[in-house]
Amino acid sequence: MTAQTRANSLKERQDKRFINKETQTAAKYLRRLEELPGAPSGMEPFYDILEHIYVDMSHIEAAQNQKLIGTYCVMTPPEIIYAAGAVPVKLCSGNYTAFSIGDSVTPRDACPLVKAVAGFKQTGLMPLYEDCSMMVIPITCDCKKKIAGMLSEKCDVVTLHIPATRDDDNIDIFVNQLYYLMEKLEDVTGNRITYESLSEGFRKVGYAQYKLSEFIRLKRETPYLIRGSHYMAIMNASSYMPADKWGDALHKVNESLKEGKTVTSKKLPRILLTGSPIVFPNMKIPLLIEEMGGIVAADETCMGERGMWDPPVITDNSFDGMIRALANRSLRPCPCPTFADNSQRLYRLKQLIKDNNIQGVIYHVLRGCLVYDFEYKKIEEELGKLGIPVIRLESDYNEEDIEQLRIRIEAFIELIKLKQVPEKRKTERKGF
Amino acid sequence: MKVKKAIKENDTFKKEFCDTLNKLYQENAGLSALKYFLDVSYRWANINSETGNKPKVVMLTAAVPEELVIAAGAQPYWIIGGSLGSTAWSDDVVPRDTDPVSRSILGYINRPHGADYSDSLFIIPLVNDSMRKIAYELKMQGRKICLIDIPPHHNHTSLNGIIAGMRALSAAVSEHLGTRATRKSTVSAMKQVSNARRSLRRFLEVSRERTDIITEPARVFVQDSYYMTNSIDEWTANIQALTKEIESKPVRHTVNNNYPKVMLLGSPVFFPNYKIPFLIQDTKLSICDAVDYTSLKTFMTYDKKSMIGNLNKLIKNIAAKWNTYDASPAYIQNDVLHKYVSWLLQKGDIEGVVYHILKGQIEYDFELEHFEKTLGEYGIPIFRLETDYQYQDVEQLRIRMEAFCEMLVQSRYREVKIAS
Repeated sequence: MTAQTRANSLKERQDKRFINKETQTAAKYLRRLEELPGAPSGMEPFYDILEHIYVDMSHIEAAQNQKLIGTYCVMTPPEIIYAAGAVPVKLCSGNYTAFSIGDSVTPRDACPLVKAVAGFKQTGLMPLYEDCSMMVIPITCDCKKKIAGMLSEKCDVVTLHIPATRDDDNIDIFVNQLYYLMEKLEDVTGNRITYESLSEGFRKVGYAQYKLSEFIRLKRETPYLIRGSHYMAIMNASSYMPADKWGDALHKVNESLKEGKTVTSKKLPRILLTGSPIVFPNMKIPLLIEEMGGIVAADETCMGERGMWDPPVITDNSFDGMIRALANRSLRPCPCPTFADNSQRLYRLKQLIKDNNIQGVIYHVLRGCLVYDFEYKKIEEELGKLGIPVIRLESDYNEEDIEQLRIRIEAFIELIKLKQVPEKRKTERKGF
Repeated sequence: MKVKKAIKENDTFKKEFCDTLNKLYQENAGLSALKYFLDVSYRWANINSETGNKPKVVMLTAAVPEELVIAAGAQPYWIIGGSLGSTAWSDDVVPRDTDPVSRSILGYINRPHGADYSDSLFIIPLVNDSMRKIAYELKMQGRKICLIDIPPHHNHTSLNGIIAGMRALSAAVSEHLGTRATRKSTVSAMKQVSNARRSLRRFLEVSRERTDIITEPARVFVQDSYYMTNSIDEWTANIQALTKEIESKPVRHTVNNNYPKVMLLGSPVFFPNYKIPFLIQDTKLSICDAVDYTSLKTFMTYDKKSMIGNLNKLIKNIAAKWNTYDASPAYIQNDVLHKYVSWLLQKGDIEGVVYHILKGQIEYDFELEHFEKTLGEYGIPIFRLETDYQYQDVEQLRIRMEAFCEMLVQSRYREVKIAS
């Protein structure tokens, strides 16, 4: 056997092992989601797409000649990508197997999300990443900044500089960047972005946002109509489905929720999950919360509501007005900790707490995600004033810490339960 | 109890910089011109509210051109980190994984009975995540801040962003001081800093070959002292005097200067935490170049051509110079630093590179891969050294450094053997 053949055979074995592990992890979490009781009907399309991408490791189905554009973060407006006749897919990853590969090509203290992205790109085995004709990376943190440099050596990358403040001058600068992005998209797709195509992009995304707003309204109902883990699966699926298809699938879920079938008759502690994003298949935190008797009633993460909840406001119907609306939507309401002054995240959290009758907050910090960690103290202080307990959970994508996390989450939920007014007994006490 | 704790923290802080200054003095006792720099640093570290020092303009990190501040009529007061003692005053405010430089910077500001910053304008270049968040923390404390955005690329588009940032900086300083930067004052400031930078470059060139006269940590220290002076002209005159003194001293043949030569690269080493330079010196290695993001500032000098035009044009010229030479890791690809290192390697006397990473400074860690590739082409070994400002790991680091030194010595023998 020659050295070359041996190397090829080793590479084949490594690839096979990677594929096995990756698909097994994804399948396991998908199974756990499916087995979690109380799912509304109509969840199949969301499970199917997650299975299609992560378990079957298949290509994303796009219409002929439609290019895939990979995006990171919520600050890339999908409307522009649709306007260029392409399909956006979010490439932020929660995969442990890719994370462990990425560990060897990125610094030890890099965040797991970036490591997973680097891992997938390193192996070249994930069709989702390989099919992208271009990647759009908003520079929201140091890791994203440096990974943009690494990825640009392997594929076509456009970076968006995210300013530290949201004043008018910076919005103007961001508008210019969006025009530059449009030029690059036109080059890649060969389609011109016109007023009509941009309007169509707005319509597609707007439809999905409308369905999401309806879904959020139903999700707030008490007793609960849907579990947070299922809701997070829906939101994660939005990364890989065209907005209109996702909106259609969500419509069916909304119809099913309207029937009023509740998840459980018990009064479960309502938890708000905030901090670093929960990206499939790393669903261990919401699953643990719900397995331990809590319910994720709301989230303030970029893979959750934050990604879509704010529609653009068009005050000027011109083409430039529409681009400006997208720039405003991307930056102004966004409570991402990349901004130096992020007081509005506090207001957003308080609003979510009030709207969803939240009893406790779990602050998720992915190891190495410094920007979220910086904001924890202030949030803990402010929520403490409202009497809302907060715990900080630091974790990464591996499963070795699951039992420790379980104990902490269980204790936190018990603490909330102790504070709760006891439910009225439905049966008479016996033995007195 | 709190008072006792504060006294203890202050003692640790003072002990740290006094120890460093003592060591530098003892090792370079023969250099009379070094005394000025020791005094400057001592005064800077001893600044407190009782001495009545009220810095008007405080610059966090050295990643912004000071000429614009000087042009507006203020002497910048730099806080660039470097102290373990000062981190004690920020521990409660920042997350565990925050890098020591940011901790130290915030610690200096929060230092009880430290300088009076009540009337200071803080200029904060947003070079990394920590600086963004420190900016917010300072805002919450009610401090007056001016944020300088750093675009992620070095290109024509980013130049416009840098120009906008410089204009905003100039306007903010002028508003704060109640004075106005004029064309004349800006040209004068450009001349002043150019002179200082040229003198520093000359000092570094001369002292690089005179390790028998001045130790390597002292060279790093003199470079750092620029950020502690309250008179740039005085500092310039003194560095010129020091260079002259070094040149005039006869060669001391008794001092062995044939140790393997290494380049210190990566996270910056700032006064008073000279753990790494002292360690390199102790392990019989010689730092011929200490390269960090401030190194290229010595090349940011202005010729007559760039000092022609109105104020707007001058600001543009400063921004253009900055865009060309800024080697901060705030960029996606730090090509400027990369080219500079390649240029230094071409001198041919560097035998190894110590890549210093301060825990939490992830951007330097990301850049390591590029340097590994380049150095691999030159056949120069690179040694990654991760640490923070604590002194507990010195012995572990010493063992690793000694092993690296032995490897470099062995490779010298090997080369001699091959040659013969």
